[in-house]
Amino acid sequence: MTALFWLAAALFGIGLFGMMARRSLLFQLLSMEVMLAGPALAFVAAGAARGDAQGQGMFVLILVLAAAEVGIGLSLYLRLSRIADVSDVDTISDLKG
Amino acid sequence: MIPALTVYHLLLLVPAPALAAFMVLGLAPVFLHRRLVMLIALAGGTAPLLAMTGMMGLCLTGQCRGVAPIFTLQVGTAIVDLALLLDPLSMITGMTVTLIGACVLIYSIDYMAGAKTADLRRFFALMNLFLAAMLAMVLAGDSIVYFLGWEMMGLCSFFLIAYNVFSDPAVAAGRKAFIMSRIADALLLGGLLLLFIAAGSVRIDALIAAGLALPEGQRTVIALLLLGGALGKSAQLPFHTWLPSAMAGPTPVSALLHSATMVAAGAYLMARFAPLLAASPDVMLVMAVGGALTAAFGSMTAIFQSDVKRLLAFSSISQIGFMLLALGVGAPAAAMAHFVTHALFKSLLFLAAGDIAHSAGDDTSIAAMKGAASRRPLAFAAFTIGAASLSGLPLVTAGWWSKEEVLDAVLGSGGAGRALWVLALLTAVMTAIYAFRPVLIALKPGPVDAHPHTPGLATRIPLVLLGFGSLTGGLLVGPVIRLLGGVHPEMPAYSVVVAALAPLTGLAISWQLSRSPQLADWLAARRLLRQGLQIDVLYQAWFVQPFQRLVDRLSGVHGTTPDPFGAAPVTMMLWLKRQLIDRFRSDGFDSGWMALAGTATPLWAVARRSQSGRARDAVMALAGGTAGLLLLGWMTA
Repeated sequence: MTALFWLAAALFGIGLFGMMARRSLLFQLLSMEVMLAGPALAFVAAGAARGDAQGQGMFVLILVLAAAEVGIGLSLYLRLSRIADVSDVDTISDLKG
Repeated sequence: MIPALTVYHLLLLVPAPALAAFMVLGLAPVFLHRRLVMLIALAGGTAPLLAMTGMMGLCLTGQCRGVAPIFTLQVGTAIVDLALLLDPLSMITGMTVTLIGACVLIYSIDYMAGAKTADLRRFFALMNLFLAAMLAMVLAGDSIVYFLGWEMMGLCSFFLIAYNVFSDPAVAAGRKAFIMSRIADALLLGGLLLLFIAAGSVRIDALIAAGLALPEGQRTVIALLLLGGALGKSAQLPFHTWLPSAMAGPTPVSALLHSATMVAAGAYLMARFAPLLAASPDVMLVMAVGGALTAAFGSMTAIFQSDVKRLLAFSSISQIGFMLLALGVGAPAAAMAHFVTHALFKSLLFLAAGDIAHSAGDDTSIAAMKGAASRRPLAFAAFTIGAASLSGLPLVTAGWWSKEEVLDAVLGSGGAGRALWVLALLTAVMTAIYAFRPVLIALKPGPVDAHPHTPGLATRIPLVLLGFGSLTGGLLVGPVIRLLGGVHPEMPAYSVVVAALAPLTGLAISWQLSRSPQLADWLAARRLLRQGLQIDVLYQAWFVQPFQRLVDRLSGVHGTTPDPFGAAPVTMMLWLKRQLIDRFRSDGFDSGWMALAGTATPLWAVARRSQSGRARDAVMALAGGTAGLLLLGWMTA
């Protein structure tokens, strides 16, 4: 139980690190997926520990969320790749103050 | 939780081979040789027939009411339990679908080999996916699997209509079919969700029971929503316009999806929920009248067509109208019997027409059929048998037996049924007129074969098999109706005689039409009727063009405001500025205030440095901020 939560936290952390350390947009999207897997695992683990199916229900919701996020993320990626260099997102800084 | 396995879990084997074939053909990242592609597609297309035959054996030995639970999840008071269902209705429909699917896939092996678009793998992958989706829908025991199959069918329909991606009309036709079915599917989804809320379960029997317990008004709304879904899928008035355009797809697609199986799914839906619909007499009347009108409209429009495939498309619209008519007068058994025979003869007609069109250099117009009798004797014979069965020539054809059941059920329902019966008889006459027009034209001498090659075994086997079925399928009608628990009403002799005379009258009129050039010219000149009263044009003007104008406005193509929702607050603020700020401009108070504001400028210069514009910095700030808040919460707790 605790081990699963540590694993979930580790997944989240790895994803977050990837988000911040990676410069390629595609890998940032991948990292985001890893980040999402952390809470999803935590929900399933908590649900299993308490014998409550709502944990699995939340997992299904997160799955839907992840699918929607990938849909939007990849379409943004495609559009962006036509006008900018997506291998280094730091160059895309038009919102600089 | 994995439920215990029963014999009914063998139902999973029915859609599984087609799905597996799709997985290999569609997803395997390796090159497959042309022959291997065909072999896999053939295996995926024919194995469901074998599995379904086994299930039919189970059904006929008396174990014909079984549920195979797949997955159960209980959330609160609601139960989500996916299951497959074997009962007489799903058995008969499943047998028909697998048989037609196998025949069409065998035929495609030969037919598509000469196709211009070389992408055979995509074609067969989609055909197999369609087969799996349709079988999942037919065998579904709950609304989720049902809806999933229903939507997958729509998706495959879109991809297969637009199979020739280099042809703009084909892509537009696919989009049209997709959008129109989407509208109807939204209605179906609404109906299913309302039933789910009432039942707290997704099993179809629980949904029907819960629906019957609802008050009259809600039940009517749900029945109407379900009917809307059926009308869209089955291309009935007012949703019919997508089916004739859908003929832009390859002929095997038209034979499998857009005539025999998928478009008849609306009738299957209505038969599945028949007990629920029977409790709403008003909806039943709407369905019966709508079906009869669609049947008459479709057959009348078919008379004026100049293209064989479009003629057959309007014919499908008309014949499914017959099915809904039977369902509307409370005879689902007769409707499903007509579904079975219609699937046999309509796929036969399409396959034969495809072979004839091949011999005329891929020209599908009726005029190009001249000389088909000598060029392709087998295909011509098959087409003739199909046309005879479609028009229902008495006794010898399958179509007569099932149409007779439908007509008797309509007449036996009394009241409005008599008027509908007369309308259906008129439709039967018109059916014979249009069905025999291509046949009689094909008898005339014409040009010789454009591609003189004998059709292979893969073309001949399905034609012979389906032709045999179209003639002798009448023997199945009685058992099918008994199995579905229908009763044959006792009818006066006159009705049988009149119904038998109707197709013969139509045949005679068609004969006259083919002999008189003036009449043929008159037919060709009726443009309005050929285009189905131009309902398509009306939809274009009422829905498509206003929508496109709206999109143009919102996207700012014509120099209009690109984003009304973003522009509205800006406009309001500008107005406020004019009203409030501009009045107090350049007085002492104002300049004093501006001086105070000016002292903040160096601060601003520092603060703006935090806005690096880099997404990664924003992530870091977000993560750091959240962590800080969590830490704060943890320490103060």
